[in-house]
Amino acid sequence: MAEDKKPPLLSVQNLIIEFATENGVVRATDNISFDIFANETVGIVGESGCGKTVTGLSILGLIPSPPGRIVGGSITFMGRELVGLPEEEMRKIRGCHISMIFQEPMTALNPVFSIGNQMTDVLIRHHGLTRRQARDSAIEMLAKVGIPAPAKRIDEYPHQLSGGMRQRVMIAMALSCDPKLLIADEPTTALDVTTQAQVLEQISKLQAEFHMAVVLITHDLGVVAETCRRAIVMYCGRIVENASIEHLFASPRHPYAKGLLDSIPQIRSQRLEELPIIPGRVPDLLQLPPGCRFADRCPRADGLCSEQIPKLAPSGTHADRVACHHPYPAVQAGSAS
Amino acid sequence: MEILQYSIRKLFSGIPLILGVTLISFVLMVYFGPDKTYELLGKNPTPEEIAEVRSQLGYDQPFVVRYVDYLRELATLDFGNSDSTGERVDALLARTIPVSLALTAPGFVLGNALGILLALFAAYYRSTWVDKTIMASAVIGMSISFLIVIIAFQIIFASSYGLGWFPVRGWSIGSIGDYFSYVAVPTMATVFVALGYNTRFYRSVLVEEMTRDHVRTAKAFGVPPSKLFYKNILKNSLIPIITRIVFSIPLVIISGSLLIESYFGIPGVGKITYDAIISGDQPVLKAVVGLTAILFVLAQLLTDIMYRAVDPRITLK
Repeated sequence: MAEDKKPPLLSVQNLIIEFATENGVVRATDNISFDIFANETVGIVGESGCGKTVTGLSILGLIPSPPGRIVGGSITFMGRELVGLPEEEMRKIRGCHISMIFQEPMTALNPVFSIGNQMTDVLIRHHGLTRRQARDSAIEMLAKVGIPAPAKRIDEYPHQLSGGMRQRVMIAMALSCDPKLLIADEPTTALDVTTQAQVLEQISKLQAEFHMAVVLITHDLGVVAETCRRAIVMYCGRIVENASIEHLFASPRHPYAKGLLDSIPQIRSQRLEELPIIPGRVPDLLQLPPGCRFADRCPRADGLCSEQIPKLAPSGTHADRVACHHPYPAVQAGSAS
Repeated sequence: MEILQYSIRKLFSGIPLILGVTLISFVLMVYFGPDKTYELLGKNPTPEEIAEVRSQLGYDQPFVVRYVDYLRELATLDFGNSDSTGERVDALLARTIPVSLALTAPGFVLGNALGILLALFAAYYRSTWVDKTIMASAVIGMSISFLIVIIAFQIIFASSYGLGWFPVRGWSIGSIGDYFSYVAVPTMATVFVALGYNTRFYRSVLVEEMTRDHVRTAKAFGVPPSKLFYKNILKNSLIPIITRIVFSIPLVIISGSLLIESYFGIPGVGKITYDAIISGDQPVLKAVVGLTAILFVLAQLLTDIMYRAVDPRITLK
C-alpha cells in the first residue's frame, strides 16, 4: 500500500452527524474516521439505515438541514476543511472537484430540461466555457460513457432515455468537470443486472482514465468485490471494519462482516440446508446499547462487549482496521475468491 | 400546426360539457324557472290574455324548441333584452364585464403574485420561524369571513372613524386616480382573504418540488439557489400553478365578486347576476351561465397548451 505514505485525498475524522426526529435525536454516524487516497476505489457497505448515504452526502455538505446537522469531526479534502465551509465555497467544489451520482436515475435528472441543457450548465458554471464549447464537451463525455449517437441524444429529455442510459448521463455529467473524487451512492441498485454490470464496468474504466478516486456506497457485496480495492463496513452508524478486499473476503475479522459474507448466496462445495443469516435485528437508533452495537447479535460477544464500545484499531500488519473486542483471527491469505 | 389541430379537437370535445351545463341550467332556471306571465298582466286577466302573454314569452313552445332556442342564442351571443330593464343583454354584459374585470384583476394578480412570493419564503425557510409566521398568518386570513373583512376594511380605510383615505362606495374609471381610489379597498379585502389560500397552496407545491431527487442532484452539482429556484423548482411546479390560475380566470371575468360589488356599490357582472337571480331575469341568467361554461372550456384548452409549453413529457394528443 504505497498510497499510505502520501497524504490522503479525503480524510474523514471522528465525524458525528445527528438528525432531529420527532422521537428524539438520532446519531446517523457516530465518530467515523476513514481516509480515501487518490485513484483508489473504496466501497462503503452496510444495510439500509447504517449511515452510508449520510456519510456520502456529508462530504458534499448536502445533509438536509434541518433536521440533519454535523455535530463534530472534520472532513478534509486535499488539505482543505469542508465542515463549516461557506455555502458559496462549497458550491465551487460540488460537481467540480467532488461529484456525486445517485441511486434513482429515473428521478435524479430534472424532467423539464434536456440532458444537454443540464450537462452544459455544469460545464459553464465550473469551467467557464461558452455554450458551444460546453455542448461539444458534453457530447464528447456522452460518447465516453457509451451513449450511441450522442450528438442526437444530447437534445433529448430524461424521460426519453432508459434507466441505464440515464445513469450513464449522470456519470457523464459527474465526470464532465474532471473531478478528483466521485461519490457513487448505490449507482446500480435501480438497474437490472446486465445494465448494472455495464455501468459498473464504465465507472471502473473511467476511474482509470480520469485518475480519480471513487467512493462506492452500496449494500451489494458482489459489487464491492468486483470494483473496489478496499471496503468500509458500517453498522448502526459506526465503522466496524475497514480492510482491503482480499483480506475482507478471505478472512473477515469483524463478526458482522463475516455474517454478511456468509449470507451471500453462492455455489458452495457442500450443500447447505439453509443460507446462514445474522440472528436478531438491527437495534433502534434511538435506543442503542451502551457497548458494541452488534453485541446482541454476535456469536462472540461477552460481558465486555455490552459495556464498552470497541475502538476502530489497526488489526494487524496491514492497513486494515477493525472495531471489535474479539475479532476473528487474521488468516494470511494469498488468495481472494 | 400541432397546436391548432389539437385546439380544434379539444374545442369539439368541449361541446358535450357546454351542452351538459346549459341543459341543467336551462331545466332549473328557465323551464322550471320563474314565470313572468302574471307580472306582465293586469288584474283579473282573461284566459285569452294569459295565452297571448305566454306565447309572447315563448312559454307555449315545447321543451326541445325552447332549449334549442337557448343554444342558438348562445351561439350567436344574442340573448335579447333584459326582462327587468329592457336593455339588450349583450350591451349589458359589454358594459358590466369590463367593470368587474377592472375591479377583480388587481386583487387576482396581487393575490397570486404575493401568494407565490410568500410561499417561496415559507418553503425556502421551511420549519423555521419565517415559515411558521407566514403559515399562521395564512390561517388567520383564511379563517376570517370575507364579509367581516370587507366591513372592517371599509371602516378602517374608508370611513371617518378610521383613516378615511378612500371612498366607501361607488365606482369611476374616469382617471387613474379615481380608479385607484375606488379599487383600493376592494383589492385589499380580496387579497387579504385570497392570500391565505394561495400561500398555503403554493407552499405545498413548492415544498413538494424542493424535496425531489433532481433538486438534490442539482445541489450536488453546485447549482446556486437562484438558479435552483428557477430551473428546478419553479419550472417543475408550473403545472399546478397554471391550473390554479387559469381556471380562476372564468370566475374573475364572468362572476366578478357578488359580495364586493354589492358592498361597494359597483355596477359589475356580479351585481347584475345577483339582480337577475332575484328578479328572475332569464335572458341575463342564460347569458351568464352559458358564457361561464364556454369560458371554462377555453380555460381547459389554454391550460393544456400551456402544459405542453412547460413540460416536455406532455404531448398534445
